[in-house]
Amino acid sequence: MTLNRRGLLAGATGIGAAGIGALAACSSPTQGDPLRSGQADLTLWTHDPGYATFFTDAAADAGLVGDSAWTYSVEVTSIAPPDIISRLINQAVAQRPLPSMAGLELGQFPRMMREGIAENLLVDLSPLTDPLGDGLLKTQPYTVDGGVYALESDNSVSVMYYRADEFERLGIPEDVATWEELLDIGAQVAADTGQAVGMVSDGDNTAIVQGYMQALFQRGGGLYDADGELIVLSEENVEVLELMAEGVRSGALLSLADPYGSATGAALKESRLIATVMPNWYKVYGLEANVPDQAGLWRARTIPRYAGGGGIASTLGGTAFGVVKDQVLTDAAVDFLQRCYLTPEGQLARYAAGAYLPTLADLYDTPEFQNLTDPYLGDQRIFEVYGAAVAEMPAFYQAADLAVLRDSLGGPVLRALKGEIGAEDALREGVDAYERQVSE
Amino acid sequence: MTATAAARSDRAQNRQRRWAPYLFISPFFILFTCFMVVPIGAGVYLSLTRWAGLGSPEFIGLDNYTRLLGDQSFGASLGNTAFYTAFALLVVLPASLLIAQALDARGLKLRDLFRLVYFLPVVLSPIIIALIFGLIFDGEYGLVNAVMEALFGFGGVSWLTDPWWARVVVVVLVLWRWTGYLTIFFLAGMQAVPRELHEAAEVDGAGPVRRFFSVTLPQLRPVTAFIAVTMLVNTAQIFEEPFLLTQGGPGESTLSVSMFVYRAAFQRQELGYAAAAGVVMFVIVFALGRLASSAFGVGRTR
Repeated sequence: MTLNRRGLLAGATGIGAAGIGALAACSSPTQGDPLRSGQADLTLWTHDPGYATFFTDAAADAGLVGDSAWTYSVEVTSIAPPDIISRLINQAVAQRPLPSMAGLELGQFPRMMREGIAENLLVDLSPLTDPLGDGLLKTQPYTVDGGVYALESDNSVSVMYYRADEFERLGIPEDVATWEELLDIGAQVAADTGQAVGMVSDGDNTAIVQGYMQALFQRGGGLYDADGELIVLSEENVEVLELMAEGVRSGALLSLADPYGSATGAALKESRLIATVMPNWYKVYGLEANVPDQAGLWRARTIPRYAGGGGIASTLGGTAFGVVKDQVLTDAAVDFLQRCYLTPEGQLARYAAGAYLPTLADLYDTPEFQNLTDPYLGDQRIFEVYGAAVAEMPAFYQAADLAVLRDSLGGPVLRALKGEIGAEDALREGVDAYERQVSE
Repeated sequence: MTATAAARSDRAQNRQRRWAPYLFISPFFILFTCFMVVPIGAGVYLSLTRWAGLGSPEFIGLDNYTRLLGDQSFGASLGNTAFYTAFALLVVLPASLLIAQALDARGLKLRDLFRLVYFLPVVLSPIIIALIFGLIFDGEYGLVNAVMEALFGFGGVSWLTDPWWARVVVVVLVLWRWTGYLTIFFLAGMQAVPRELHEAAEVDGAGPVRRFFSVTLPQLRPVTAFIAVTMLVNTAQIFEEPFLLTQGGPGESTLSVSMFVYRAAFQRQELGYAAAAGVVMFVIVFALGRLASSAFGVGRTR
């Protein structure tokens, strides 16, 4: 067969037309009358394979969805956290198919808080969350004008993980009461052995500010209050930054670029970092991933208080799931999410699937959780610690301009940690930069 | 066939002949309009609005441009980008030329291996490169600090967390990543220089240095012009290197204009403001590109 130019052009046109037809066929109708019952083929966008597995399995779990009016299946598309929001908006603007549910990383959610994006794209889940009141943890970060637009997957409560063997060898009491005491001991340990009892991040702005936020929340400080007003220049915030800077100066706290990066892995491996305050998921992604050989040597405890006040716990990070509104499967997706996220069975299944901590506060005291032991933590009854921490878990408020604040604070906070500038001056510099950008 | 029919046929053929060239060049213009003119026009329009992505953009005139003028972050990103661009032109370009000259030396063994090694950074994934550079330049556990500690007794340089050193690491990455790529262009240009010119210069008593400046460089002028303009335009839009290595930090000390645009659009949902910054970047890059093309004589008939 010989191929002439005319034939080639005709073939290319045919292939192009067939491709357009195939692409059009790939789209599924998502708008129309709501489906009230029957087969609900939900679509889900998430960045984390753990959630993908959980939701896929949950759809077939009779204990969770057996008595639902819908029969579920879940098709998952894996997308990076920032791209989920970008694509949600793009698809909505282009009137192209949207997923039934989307996993929204906590740090990305402020983008949804701007100009009514959350209200326009997602179902207000407050009718489901309001009856639970304070019994449902961590709804604040996903609240816009009183509406809750996503349900947190993991409580992400921060506790202190420490090397029991190293603490014993170095004579560090496991029940140190305050940060001030711990940093004093840490300074001595650093001088004697070069080991550190905590870490701060000196990497990118997000890592720096997130680490600082975790410390702030524990002290009772924060970046925004419940009304979204800036509270960066509070006494608590200044005190915490001063204490962190002092810890870095004395060597009690180790400066590491990325809490999940290779340098931290090396610090853990060579037992230079023997304690760290991080959320529960860090045990899996930070400790077990980097130092599996140290299984049984680590323990968890609540965080030492600050002498000036605050609690014994904090929080950092998280991923919540929202339901896209006004679609055929919206009602089905809300029902599915409620069964997975707001029932004790769903929360237990989530913990079993990926060690995601319950967001229903009452569950921490139930035998199902209290009796759980963790081999990596020397068979410690870990929910005794998490339960105590959850009882004092601080609120986490964020606002639409959090990204601006992170970029504004990152540099000055880093300089404060390195001792190049005072804590109050650093925070003031960050706030000035923030206000210059936000007020315009 | 009647005379009328023949005349009609001729007219049809003439029409076909007249339109055929336009038909053949039309795909480019259709694509150019769809993928360049329309997006640029939309970008310019967006730059005059306030828009978070959903709903209708609100027309605000030149407010975004006024805001850009007073935005210290944008100023910092312009300064950083100028630094990267100057480094690329003043260091990367000459380094590539010198390496190409070395690789072009007569009798060089393993020439293909060297070429391969120099070209390797171009084909490596930027993410892998950023990870490796992160390891090499880590302040606590980095290779560079360890080597400096072993050799000179000090190694506490905060490569990625000190504003000045972070910029240096970014340009080192640019140097490492792009030098080999540019070397290939120079090498190709050098191999096109007639041997007789070198031989004649040699007969006239010119040494290697004189031959380089009097034969090689003038002959490479078109290649150099092309590389310089390409490098200038590419580096003025630098994104991957600072984004993957430092995320623009510490603070905003390595933030580039492209990153500023990305940050405004996809981290802050300020699409109108991002579009304004994009338009400014487009104008600057276009103007610099035209100036450089004119200065280097790109496309000028010799």
